[in-house]
Amino acid sequence: MSNKSYEEIFSKFEEITNHYNRRDQYFDILYDSISSTIIVKTPSSESFSVNTKKSGIVARSFLGSWKEVAIEANGDMNIIKTSLPKVSNKGNLISEFDAWSLNKEIKPKIDPAKVPIDEKIKKVREIYTYVKNADKRIINVQVKYLELLIERIFVNNEGCKLRQVIPRTRIFVVPIAKEGSVVDYDYFIKSGEMGFEIFDSIENKVLDQTINNSLDMLNAELPPAGRNTIILDSSMAGMIAHESFGHGLEADQILRDRSYLKKHLNKQVASEICTIYDTPSLEKKLGSYFFDDEGIKAGHNILVQNGILRNFIYDRRTASVLKATPQGNGRRESFAHPVNVRMSNTYFGSGDYKLEEMISEIKEGVMLVHGSFGMEDPLGGGMQCTSRKGYLIENGEKTKILKAIALSGDVLEMLKNIDAVSKDVLKLDGGTCGKGTEDMVPVTDGGSYIRAKNALVSPG
Amino acid sequence: MIKELTNERLDIIESNLKSKKIQEFEIFFVEKNIYETIFLKDKAENEREINDFEYFIRILTQKENKTGIGVVKGNSLESSQIERNIETCVQLSKINSSSKYDFPLKVSNSPINTADKSILNDPLSMKKDLAEVLISEVNQQKDVVPTFLRFRLHNNHKFLRNSNNLNLDAKKTYFFMEFSLKAQENGRLSEFWDVGYYKEKEHLKLNERVSSWARRAKDTLKAVQPIPSDDALVIFSPSVLKKAINPVIGIHSLGRAHAEKISSYNIGDVVASENITIIDDGLLEGGLSSNSWDSEGNPHQSTEVIKNGVFQNRLYDQIYAILEGEKSTGNAKRAESGTVVNGISNFKIFPGDISYNDMVSEIKEGYFIDKFSWLNPDSVSGNFGAEIRNGYYIKNGEFLNPIKLGNVSGNILQMMENCVYISKEREFNEDTLFPYMAFKNLNVSS
Repeated sequence: MSNKSYEEIFSKFEEITNHYNRRDQYFDILYDSISSTIIVKTPSSESFSVNTKKSGIVARSFLGSWKEVAIEANGDMNIIKTSLPKVSNKGNLISEFDAWSLNKEIKPKIDPAKVPIDEKIKKVREIYTYVKNADKRIINVQVKYLELLIERIFVNNEGCKLRQVIPRTRIFVVPIAKEGSVVDYDYFIKSGEMGFEIFDSIENKVLDQTINNSLDMLNAELPPAGRNTIILDSSMAGMIAHESFGHGLEADQILRDRSYLKKHLNKQVASEICTIYDTPSLEKKLGSYFFDDEGIKAGHNILVQNGILRNFIYDRRTASVLKATPQGNGRRESFAHPVNVRMSNTYFGSGDYKLEEMISEIKEGVMLVHGSFGMEDPLGGGMQCTSRKGYLIENGEKTKILKAIALSGDVLEMLKNIDAVSKDVLKLDGGTCGKGTEDMVPVTDGGSYIRAKNALVSPG
Repeated sequence: MIKELTNERLDIIESNLKSKKIQEFEIFFVEKNIYETIFLKDKAENEREINDFEYFIRILTQKENKTGIGVVKGNSLESSQIERNIETCVQLSKINSSSKYDFPLKVSNSPINTADKSILNDPLSMKKDLAEVLISEVNQQKDVVPTFLRFRLHNNHKFLRNSNNLNLDAKKTYFFMEFSLKAQENGRLSEFWDVGYYKEKEHLKLNERVSSWARRAKDTLKAVQPIPSDDALVIFSPSVLKKAINPVIGIHSLGRAHAEKISSYNIGDVVASENITIIDDGLLEGGLSSNSWDSEGNPHQSTEVIKNGVFQNRLYDQIYAILEGEKSTGNAKRAESGTVVNGISNFKIFPGDISYNDMVSEIKEGYFIDKFSWLNPDSVSGNFGAEIRNGYYIKNGEFLNPIKLGNVSGNILQMMENCVYISKEREFNEDTLFPYMAFKNLNVSS
């Protein structure tokens, strides 16, 4: 199957799908193929790995609960019909959604497939050498380039016939600095729905800034522990929107009675200057796509509008039970992973403040920048988001650089304590998100700067 | 039968490599069969079965003082695709410039059994039976309800061949469980949510485990934020310790970290309290990473990393062993991309001389941390700060009240030098066999 044309795959899928009558049962089938190139350079090693095309197929049927079977793409497809038997009169156990067709390939500005591998390696080596030689305090540099080409073909017995081919590219640069016994670092990451042109955005001034950020960390002090007024940059704001808040809106958690937000629909959950979105249909972002892994068209979901919770995030199953309109959030990591309700591009809308104003109004506070990692707490509404670095704010000015800062406490309390949102252009950063600890999917999150009072911070 | 089929597949790839006169090559082939039930509350919501395989080809091109290593991953056995994979791999090896490297030679390994025959024979029945026991145990608990559960069996078979006539295979079976038990009282909600792999059926201990989940979920209903302290004594559970020690002490113990100047450990340095001894044991019975051989075919072994607080030995895969003039300690791991990386196998910490209960009773004031939201220390500096998800405040030798929220922060490297107690009891957590340990001088904020 992996060497067949998409027309042949469509044809084969339609033949299998026609075996299952929608009136009797829902059925869908997905082809998933991923090709990748990974180049990693560190002081002692170079690692080049090419995934020529790992592909597989997953088929499933809903009979009151899901039953699904996944095989590698050249496996025996007869297993689908034997594992997923035909039944009668179970079609109405799950709602029917719009049938549609699409065949879309994203063409990057520079197609990585047309760039020789040695040219990619040369670019990575150039970045490595530039950063390594910039300052003798840089003791270690890690540069990672990752390009992916993901093809998904979806057919179901509601009439969906869909294909999308999406390139995703990332570069990650980590200069590790050392002075005396202090070792620390910052990092630079760039990612998106793009091709080899990603290197065009990595000019020397970007690398210089990354190097300086790492060197700055050598003089960083431990942050204070306790309640403070805080300013979050777009990466930290996005982490709150995604990890601390968004996971509680995933409607599988609503069906499980496992969300602190279940009782808050159409109620105030944040300061009225807050608006939060999840939008898989945004263009050229790492979390963007045309349809999800259940054939639902990617949409635009206003989660919070002026502080009021307006919507949850749905897949096909939860939208059916909760009688909602799904916006394309049923996603799989690959054919070998299950569909879960997942976010895509999740972000705060911008406000009307200038960052300088936000800082100048703070007598004592902390600014958290460069989001590092965060964890969800869908039942409890707790918050754990950690920044790579920060700044102490004293008398309206940024004074000292701070080491990693952990932001914790109750997320709704924090959202309600937001008193300023900046008018900067929205910035979304890419990463991968797990459902719990696995089922990783590409996402972005972000926003602009936000300020909140009385937030709990500590060394991270 | 399956093994014969896979050997035929390997033969196809190997004959292609030989026909192209590739001198130094390696084929790593993995078959994966996975069986999973996902529960919505206590009802099965998704029954899944996955049959998958993939292979990795590595080809070496020797240069004057360097070696070029090419790696290709694929799952197509069509000859045209295999040929393209080999061509790509050769090209990568010609451009790559790694430190000097050779594939391991064929040597004898200590055979260990890493697969449960009953799972190999009938995985679906095993999954069904255990899932029923799990749900039955959950439903017997009072005042808690499940919100979701995932229960999964893994049945893997991996094969490794190289141009030095190495020809190995190993089967491995293991389990995965993720669950959340919820308690509710007077509008307050709490849960105990855990996720992990379990190597052996005996490690599941479903009766004991479910009772413990339920107790912790109910206790957390009464949790309050911890009293702040900048000089706190904190007991970490074995599962918390895994997340603290492996990413920091594990990294600083590697040959790779030494070669790349990010390890703060020198042989003979005092790096931990005298009561701490840590072993890397790739042959540990019941360890998730146990196998006779590591990911490039060198024998697994037991290596003393820290003995009575003193750093003893680095952990090497083949490439860093060659680079530093040492012998491999069997510490090669296979990354998802197919590249081989230097990593720990299983870590075990020697037990202490005090029981867990006596440890608690010795503490005048302190904290017990059962779970953090996410303990994710910085591997290089060792700094960490993590939110408490489930824990207890200890006063005068007793758990006074459950605690939640608030943060514990510190530095793992320094923490290891401040170990006050180590329990006699130890628990398996995936690739670790750790006791309960108490550390002083940590920061608790709320």
